[in-house]
Amino acid sequence: MFKSQEMEINMGPQHPSTHGVLRLKLRLDGETVKHCYPVIGYLHRGVEKICENKAFFQGQVWTDRMDYCSAISNNLGWAEAIEKLFGITVPRRARYLRTMLNELNRLNSHLLWLATHAMDIGALTVFLYCFRDREKVLDVFEAFCGSRLTTSAMRIGGLLEDIPEGFEKMVKDTLTDIREGMLEYETLLSENRIWLKRTVGIARLSADDCLAYGVTGPLLRAAGVAYDIRKAHPYAAYDEMKFEVPTKTEADTYARYLVRLEEMRQSISIVEQCLGGLPEGPIMAKLPKTLKSEVGEVYHPTEAPKGEIGYYLVSEKGGVNPYRFHIRTPGFLNLQAIPLMVQDALVADVIAAIGTLDVVLGEIDR
Amino acid sequence: MKKFLKTLIPIELAKGLLLTGKRFGQVLFSANRRKVKLHVVQEYPEVVAKVQPRFRGRLQLIKDEQGELKCVCCMLCVKACPTNAIQIIAGKKEGRKTRIPTSYDFELERCVFCGFCVESCTFGAISLNHQFELAVYNREDLSLGLGGVFQSIDKPSPVAKFSYSGEE
Repeated sequence: MFKSQEMEINMGPQHPSTHGVLRLKLRLDGETVKHCYPVIGYLHRGVEKICENKAFFQGQVWTDRMDYCSAISNNLGWAEAIEKLFGITVPRRARYLRTMLNELNRLNSHLLWLATHAMDIGALTVFLYCFRDREKVLDVFEAFCGSRLTTSAMRIGGLLEDIPEGFEKMVKDTLTDIREGMLEYETLLSENRIWLKRTVGIARLSADDCLAYGVTGPLLRAAGVAYDIRKAHPYAAYDEMKFEVPTKTEADTYARYLVRLEEMRQSISIVEQCLGGLPEGPIMAKLPKTLKSEVGEVYHPTEAPKGEIGYYLVSEKGGVNPYRFHIRTPGFLNLQAIPLMVQDALVADVIAAIGTLDVVLGEIDR
Repeated sequence: MKKFLKTLIPIELAKGLLLTGKRFGQVLFSANRRKVKLHVVQEYPEVVAKVQPRFRGRLQLIKDEQGELKCVCCMLCVKACPTNAIQIIAGKKEGRKTRIPTSYDFELERCVFCGFCVESCTFGAISLNHQFELAVYNREDLSLGLGGVFQSIDKPSPVAKFSYSGEE
């Protein structure tokens, strides 16, 4: 009368906790996941090909729309890749401001991650608290570059405008609010018994697997590998900043939560250092009127909130647009580790695994 | 049976309540130390929403004191636009040395609000105003031009009643 068989179900692409249009084909035995197969491509726009057909400076608007939760990190990587290609030296003040914006963006992205991750697992209060504080960071972006989400903040050779009036006070207030807010999130989550039950030992990914799959960012650091591009290959003004790279060895969802929270604290410290030692001077390098490229290729990795985002550019002689434009997005490589993370886990743990990966489908599909 | 009886004693519940109480006490004395206003909600449709001065809203052509368009059809904004949202046809007008656009077509549905056009303009003839309520009922209303059917490129949007428009 009763028969047992494996069942194949789709999770997503229209599922509230898959963060966008991620589709997971799950083969289930009861409630145990036997196999997980992520299907992507529902948000594919062909960013790389579009950027190859646009002038160098125009490509920025598509980098905004890749990882729409951390647009400034994408902009920064893009701008520095092109500056590397043309050999442009950015003024020191611009580098400081870029670093500051990038770290604010890391705060923004991690706050959004914490909000959605906690909500998926069931802590709705954290979601509201995080969004309350994230709003202030977005206001800072709006004051600086006029847009909250799709910032287009960088320019080749520096920045468009200097900081507006009253900007430093605004940033300082935001940092105080986030620091106080972080106490509240930790109070709600760190020792919460339900949170511990749902995260400790869930979705493990060992350091060897991380390295084998090319997983970067907080996932790699939570597995005990202290690899941070800000330290390993400093860009912008990170060589002048004092910060630590937090690591944990447990490699589970809870360890990633702790690593990301510690990263937020380091980000607050970096922003304060930038504000304290903001040098005077120009914010834009001297550039030729039109950028005409020589034959060359360049790869520039930067540390986005989700991991290593690298821009690979190939240019031809006399070209006004890149011959080849490739983006190594962290989400894409992190996502391919999900079958390993949820192997023989419960269906409810798949939600935790998706949350801890911090997936944004805009950058995975591009 | 003994196990069943054990479940009746709410040890776990007491542990949880203890933790909650401990943490609640901590936050009660530490939260909002700077005494900032806790009322963070903006009563938006009733109260006009203010945006930051650099906000990038809808594209608008600027007129000078005589009420003439500042645009001289240098086509730099057309070249700078990443999504080809702007198309200009240049024309002439009597008593004016520079050219004047006979049509300035702007596809709002294609605009990405990057501000490259404003940046490229050397005459200060265009700006992104502070309007953000740009939803319309018909798709045709998103094609803006000089003397457009529904909304015109040289005037603020008629639908954005509650968004603050700085310069008009």
